[in-house]
Amino acid sequence: MLSSIVPVSKEKSGKLALLHGVKEKSVVKPMKKTKPVQECACPVVEARNFSFYYGTKMGIKDITMKIQPCAVTAIIGPSGCGKSTFLRSINRINDLIPNIRVEGEMFVNNQDIYVKQINLVNLRQQVGMVFQKPNPFPKSIFDNVAYGSKLQGIKKRGDLQEIVEESLKAAALWDEVKDDLRKSALSLSGGQQQRLCIARALATKPSVLLMDEPCSALDPISTGKIEDLIDNLKKDYTIVIVTHNMQQAARVSDQTAFFCLGELIEYDTTTIIFERPNKKQTEDYVTGRFG
Amino acid sequence: MKASGRVILDKVFTVITGLSVILLIIVLLVILGPMLWRGLSAVAFKGTVEFRKMQLAEFAQGDESAVHIETAKAETAQKTVYEMIDRFKNGVDFEKLADRAKDIYRDFGEELQRKGLPREEYTELRSLSRKIRNELAAAFSSRDIGEINEHIEYVLKYSSDVRFKGTVAIQFFQMANNYKDAAAKIDLEKRDEYASELAELEEIIKGLFGPHPEEDSPALAQFRYGATRWDQAQNLLYKLRLKEKWVEQEPGQPLVKIALSRAELFAGTELKGLFGFVEKNLDKMLLPRWTFYWRYFVDDSTPGHYFGGIGPEILGTLMLTLLSMIFVVPFGVISAAYLAECARDNLIIRIIRMCINTLAGVPSIVFGLFGLAFFVLFFLPLFGAPSKPCILAGSLTLAVLTLPVMIRSSEEAIRAVPQTYKEASLALGASGFRTFMTVTLPAALPGILTGVILSLSRVAGETAPILFTAGIAVGPVPKSIFQTTRTLSYGSWDMAVADKLAAQVPHNQYGMVVALVLLILCLNALAIILRSRVFKRLKGQ
Repeated sequence: MLSSIVPVSKEKSGKLALLHGVKEKSVVKPMKKTKPVQECACPVVEARNFSFYYGTKMGIKDITMKIQPCAVTAIIGPSGCGKSTFLRSINRINDLIPNIRVEGEMFVNNQDIYVKQINLVNLRQQVGMVFQKPNPFPKSIFDNVAYGSKLQGIKKRGDLQEIVEESLKAAALWDEVKDDLRKSALSLSGGQQQRLCIARALATKPSVLLMDEPCSALDPISTGKIEDLIDNLKKDYTIVIVTHNMQQAARVSDQTAFFCLGELIEYDTTTIIFERPNKKQTEDYVTGRFG
Repeated sequence: MKASGRVILDKVFTVITGLSVILLIIVLLVILGPMLWRGLSAVAFKGTVEFRKMQLAEFAQGDESAVHIETAKAETAQKTVYEMIDRFKNGVDFEKLADRAKDIYRDFGEELQRKGLPREEYTELRSLSRKIRNELAAAFSSRDIGEINEHIEYVLKYSSDVRFKGTVAIQFFQMANNYKDAAAKIDLEKRDEYASELAELEEIIKGLFGPHPEEDSPALAQFRYGATRWDQAQNLLYKLRLKEKWVEQEPGQPLVKIALSRAELFAGTELKGLFGFVEKNLDKMLLPRWTFYWRYFVDDSTPGHYFGGIGPEILGTLMLTLLSMIFVVPFGVISAAYLAECARDNLIIRIIRMCINTLAGVPSIVFGLFGLAFFVLFFLPLFGAPSKPCILAGSLTLAVLTLPVMIRSSEEAIRAVPQTYKEASLALGASGFRTFMTVTLPAALPGILTGVILSLSRVAGETAPILFTAGIAVGPVPKSIFQTTRTLSYGSWDMAVADKLAAQVPHNQYGMVVALVLLILCLNALAIILRSRVFKRLKGQ
């Protein structure tokens, strides 16, 4: 029985940061310095010789990388290089696809998640996901955000309301929707829907947050808001973000991994990848010579 | 394609669309219009006093005192007609008169015995009364007015005889007097003709007003009050006034129908005035009034449907429909869920899908036979229930009939739910079942409701499946689901095909069909409203 994927320690759950208004966002932020690695309670995500096959077709091959906790890791690369495949393997949402095959190991908190005894429900509550296209349920805003908490067994109205408020504030959506949480989630704009999906993912108090091109369907203002959001969240979460937008990767992430044709080409701090990459392929990609 | 060509094509399509809509409306009006109009006549019509009387008698509806007053008025008016006929009959129906004479003779004999007269006197009076009887009989059967008067005179000689005073025998003399008066007036040659004409006339009068006041009510209750509708009375009035006959106008040519005035047939007799009298006073005799009989949809009917409403039929249809929906919706949705979510694409599943698609096209009579063989004869006895047709068997059959449609539309609806909802739910840690119940199923609800609407309409109007499994034409209102029931569809079929008496009350056929159409419309409207509300909520309005 899986016992090592434990829920995040209780003290962390109270520490969701409150945003003080929405910062203005228009210019490309300068490249960040790497944060000093702090003591962090987040579980570590690690891939060891991980390969993924769609039937006979290869998705990703022989990936070995260790995701740094309490930091933002960006995965960049050209289309079809396996970024999303890798991301979706972390919370095993790829299992929906028939005829898949996995080789190697994927560890979340020192537990291989591709063993038979794994508790998928627990795993997915620990490793939250935000998808490319905003996909709120056709329910009210409240019901959307509370969905995960209800799954965890929280039934009391007061508790649920507290969690919903916290999550919406953490996702920088509270001020815009607090007047009517009964409104249908589908009546929100695209950017608001995506932030709602983030709030929904945050409500289960995960420790790892996977984001699959979260801003690619949004306008620049919403994108900016979400990038600020990511900035604030990374203190308490391990965030892995897949993105096509290199500027975004440069702005937002601490570590960057470059994938190409299903293989991990280079994985290093963001500064190094964008200023002094080691591999020529990486350099060609980040300077725009191909991609 | 050039721009101008495209514009022309666009206009052509618009015109065709408009014409199709207009054509559809015309077809609907032409087919539904008369049906609705005639069906309306089952509910809104000119109700006569008999109608109100029957309402009181059968259903205890209506103001008792008012009905009694009206009945008395009508009967007074009708009495005149009967009296006219009676008087005429006294002069014509000689067989009856002869029988009556025999009765009087017998009664007189009994009376004499009771009196305890001495033997001689008894014999004498008896033979005298016998003679009187025979004279009367001769008078009745004779055609010669002279002969008749002779016989009558002979009889009347004894009218002042003391021995007959105060006894039954004075009726002899009354009869003799009546007959003398009547015989003087009528044309004795035509007496036989009159007899047959009279019989016909009496039938029509009976149809209009019911049986003679002194007659016992006949066993067949439908003749108790005759026509309960004003327009049927009008028909009878027409038949009363005119007699239709086929005559050969030219030799070798087909016969032509001509109408003879009945009044002329009875020319020279007392009855001639009857026809004009009835025509003028029909109002007073039947007291028609505009009635809105909304209880038509609630009341039970008397056997043969000649009076009352179609309440049990409507109830039967509703029960069968709703019960079969209760069976089919869970089975259909669960099967569809299995096929859409869990079933792998192997040979067995493909065969199952093919079977479902084929079953959707099987004729409904086959399902009826299946229901009889399986549900009535096999399934019910398994649970200790009697192996007879009943509502339960009928609804199960109807459920099986409509299951393929339900499965197909539910599966489409479930497949149409975007995969992203499922992914989002699973990513939050929901199990597959939980995802289905809380996300997929609510999102598929409009499509499922569409399937329910389609099934509902089909089931409400089906006749063949319930022929052997639940439907009857005549029977009591069911008290449990283990009894048979009347339904609108079965009743319509029965009235059109099997029930001969039903031709006399055609408003019932139209009424049933219109009720069925309206019922299906209402059920559909409810389901459509429900569906659109669910749909709007899903879309976030």
